Amino acid sequence: MLVVTLVFGIRLLYIQVLNDDWKNRAEQISHHKVTIHPARGLLYDRNGELLVAVNQVYDILVTPKDVKDFDTVQFCALFKISREEFLKKIEYASTGYNVSYKASTFIESMSKEEYSRIVPHLKSFNGFDSKRRTNRGYPYGVAAHVLGYVRKISAEQYYADQNGGERYYNQNDYVGVTGLEKVYEKELRGERGSAFFLRDYAGNDKTNLEETYAIAGNSLYTSLDVKLQAYGELLMKNKLGSIVAIEPSTGEILAMISAPSFDPNKLSGREFSENYQVLLNNDTLKPIINRPIYNDNYRPGSIFKLVQALIAMQEGVIFENTGFACNKALINCHNHEDPSNVQIAIKHSCNPYFYQVYKRLIQRGEESSIFKDSRLGIEKWNASVKSFGLGTKLNTDIPGVKTGRIPDANYYDNEFPSKSNPYGKHKWAFSTIYSNSIGEGEIGVSPLQMANLAAIIANRGYYYTPHLVKKIGENGSKRSEYLKKNFTMAAAKYFDPVVNAMEMVVDNGTARAAKIDSISVCGKTGTVQNETFNDHSVFIAFAPKENPQIAIAVYVEYGTWGGVWAAKIASLMIEKYLLKELSEQGKKKEQQVLDAVILDKHSDFK
Amino acid sequence: MENRAKNIIGKVDVPLLVLFLVLVFTGLLTVYSASFSEESPQIYSLDRAYGKQLVWIIISLIMGVLILTLEGNFIKNSSYIVYGVVTLMLLIVLFMPAIKGAHSWFKIGGFTIQPSEFAKFATSLAIAHFLSTSGVKIQEAKTKVIVFFLIAVPGLLILQQPDPGTLLVFFSFIFVMYREGLSGNILLGMFFAIIIGVMAIFFKASEANVNVFGWVFEANYLYLVVILIATVLIHFGITYLVMPRYRGSKYITNIVGGALAMLLVFSCNYAYDTVFKDRHRDRFEVMFGLKLDRKGVGYNSYQALSAIGSGGPAGKGYFKGTLSNDKYKHVPEQSTDFIFCSWAEEWGFLGSFLLIILYTAFLIRLIMIAERQKSKFTRIFAYCTASIIFFHYMINIAMVIGLAPVIGIPLPFFSKGGSAILGFSIMIFILLRMDSERKDVLR
Repeated sequence: MLVVTLVFGIRLLYIQVLNDDWKNRAEQISHHKVTIHPARGLLYDRNGELLVAVNQVYDILVTPKDVKDFDTVQFCALFKISREEFLKKIEYASTGYNVSYKASTFIESMSKEEYSRIVPHLKSFNGFDSKRRTNRGYPYGVAAHVLGYVRKISAEQYYADQNGGERYYNQNDYVGVTGLEKVYEKELRGERGSAFFLRDYAGNDKTNLEETYAIAGNSLYTSLDVKLQAYGELLMKNKLGSIVAIEPSTGEILAMISAPSFDPNKLSGREFSENYQVLLNNDTLKPIINRPIYNDNYRPGSIFKLVQALIAMQEGVIFENTGFACNKALINCHNHEDPSNVQIAIKHSCNPYFYQVYKRLIQRGEESSIFKDSRLGIEKWNASVKSFGLGTKLNTDIPGVKTGRIPDANYYDNEFPSKSNPYGKHKWAFSTIYSNSIGEGEIGVSPLQMANLAAIIANRGYYYTPHLVKKIGENGSKRSEYLKKNFTMAAAKYFDPVVNAMEMVVDNGTARAAKIDSISVCGKTGTVQNETFNDHSVFIAFAPKENPQIAIAVYVEYGTWGGVWAAKIASLMIEKYLLKELSEQGKKKEQQVLDAVILDKHSDFK
Repeated sequence: MENRAKNIIGKVDVPLLVLFLVLVFTGLLTVYSASFSEESPQIYSLDRAYGKQLVWIIISLIMGVLILTLEGNFIKNSSYIVYGVVTLMLLIVLFMPAIKGAHSWFKIGGFTIQPSEFAKFATSLAIAHFLSTSGVKIQEAKTKVIVFFLIAVPGLLILQQPDPGTLLVFFSFIFVMYREGLSGNILLGMFFAIIIGVMAIFFKASEANVNVFGWVFEANYLYLVVILIATVLIHFGITYLVMPRYRGSKYITNIVGGALAMLLVFSCNYAYDTVFKDRHRDRFEVMFGLKLDRKGVGYNSYQALSAIGSGGPAGKGYFKGTLSNDKYKHVPEQSTDFIFCSWAEEWGFLGSFLLIILYTAFLIRLIMIAERQKSKFTRIFAYCTASIIFFHYMINIAMVIGLAPVIGIPLPFFSKGGSAILGFSIMIFILLRMDSERKDVLR
């Protein structure tokens, strides 16, 4: 009897005190953890208009192992899919990281209407189930490139997150894939909560043990003006190109348009895959590309002369009143008076003038060898130009921002004309690179950088890094880096002649098409030479001249010279933004722009 | 009358009574927690297990007081009548409608009565009465046969219900026989028989094969060979170690023993294949650790061990259990056979060990009482009581903590069950009454 007591005592000591196995098993039996998904943050425009809302959708889930006793014909008829499609989807649900005994998505994001048609029959198909989920919806259907989209996490991203990442995501989580959805993923997604329940033998949750509440994601208050954005997209219909509008006093991006564009709702519903294929691969015009930030190989053309003028004055190689003859022997030009100062040179966009300015900047006479001298000169010039946000990566809060190119000595030494056969050190001089003087040559600038340049001139010498989010969360603020002023190397005083010149450009220069009677617009046209077809049309501007509210860059591919389409579009954007209503003159311009079809004539262009 | 009542109260064995009451009321509180329902929260809610249990405890105590007022002689002389009545009840109950597949219960209103619980004290009374009759000697074959029949009649009736768990308890009477002079060799023989039998079933259940020099045997056949070899070796051992004049009987004992052992192995194998049902086989496999089947047959054991283990050193606290109660029901039969789980989960190792100590103390007190009797009847009855409670306690706890296969017998005083509490109480109070007279009689 005492032996029995001893044996029992030791056994109990083992089970209850010494060994934890049974405690763990007990926890497996009785505890149930439930993940609580937070609501993803929404996106608003600068006036509180909802850009990204939430829709109720339904996913149909399948557990392949349980699919049996099945009327495939009836099922396919109900779901309106073919038998092959059905088999393929079942197959997919049991391969890769989907396993046949776990539920995985069969049909994604079914609309409420469609779901209510199917749900009464769903129970009769073994192995199928449904799950309610929220989906992104876009009430205005604009700014697809900026907003980005949300998608179920990819296998690669999931494994990256699990192995060495934060280990945050589950296999069925949705993540922001591009645009603001991606950049602000962490802020938007919120914090998952979890609840522990005690469950009974049948698996019913009985007692709530503890709960960490889910914290809803922060909403983003973007800097976009949805009306301006929509208007820009409208104007760019049937055209290829970009518009970027910035509020100079803050660096906030008011509109960012990439044409051709698409309705973001297309990447939200269940037709994602098909639509994505169409947008990404099949359309020769590549609507999926966000041109304003991604196309950084645009040569700026004549708008670059503004930078040249500012740098040259700052460096002291010319003065405000320095004049050069319009010597067409140096570089071609059109007929105009000889510029007697910087203003007139800019007004007429005089090529020989800036040829000579650039020559002074590059070959300063500091070395007797023109090769050595050019190397010194270009390094100095390069640093100055970069202070204008050109040739450097702007830290804008959108993925895929490209750097552009402002060439330096190394570039001509080692990379140009080709990496395999570059000029080589001391084998090039100003005469080799003079095309840069008028914004051609080897300069590459993105539309975002052009708009930023307009903002710099509007601010007379500094810029805030252009950004898209004003506030993270209702009571939040923007990223602190966007509150910092970036000064250019050109002093404020040198901007006045340039600004005045830009005003003249619009008043009675090359950009008369951009003139608005009630607003003093300052602008500069550019025409980027294109050997294969029409030149590209570029225009940057800001308005009003004093206390500027908007700086804008418009780039219309194949839009012929800058004064034609780019200037008209820019002035319409400015007028719409500043006055809300278009003048008679504006309405006429608007009609011209809307009627202009540049795209379909050249849609063969690859 | 008043005088006599005082007399009895003064002579009742207080330690046993206190231990009894502590176990009964701790049991009630555990049943209360294990089957608690928010719809009927009072402990006296008659529509719940605890309410009924309380009623049965009160009935038991009233019965106990009544028993205390009886004359010891009257009890003794009623033994055969009680035995007869209970045996009759066991016969009648077989014709009652089955509850949970067994004809074990009389149903009266909301209460059920299980006569097999009364058979325990009734048989004890009959055995005690028979063996204490002057002239009856345990060593005589006739005595053994009669005792065997006294046990076998209710035992076989109970097997017909069927209720093999309760039948098992009847084997406990062998301890009593031993105390009363049954040869120790028989007990020893049974001990060996159990070991050999369990091993035989183990080999059979494991379906192990043994490779001997390229010949593959089933382990249970090899086991037979081993027994044969052992018998031969012991034979030679006797030849070399025992003085010639003692050898004869030893040889016979050895040969008979070996033959019986082999016969036992054969019968175990046979029983395993033919008599046992799949569920029995599975239980053995789970007990031997050949299976950790947490969903099927091993479910009860797995859930029970999880509940006990989760109690940890100090337990989760009264009413704080998360597995073994009516709300969660992870442990089956949590207020009857598996009541120990509730206790161990709520009070941890400290509590479960304390309960074991309480039972041990209770059993020791029973044996102390038995040994101080001058009356042979009382002594035998006390030993019957101790043996039965020990068997119950041992098998129940061993089952719950995974040391024995799942056998459905209750934990005495603790488990929910009216007939059980009444049967055990009658047993204890008869003993208390008889014990209180120990100085008055010279028998």
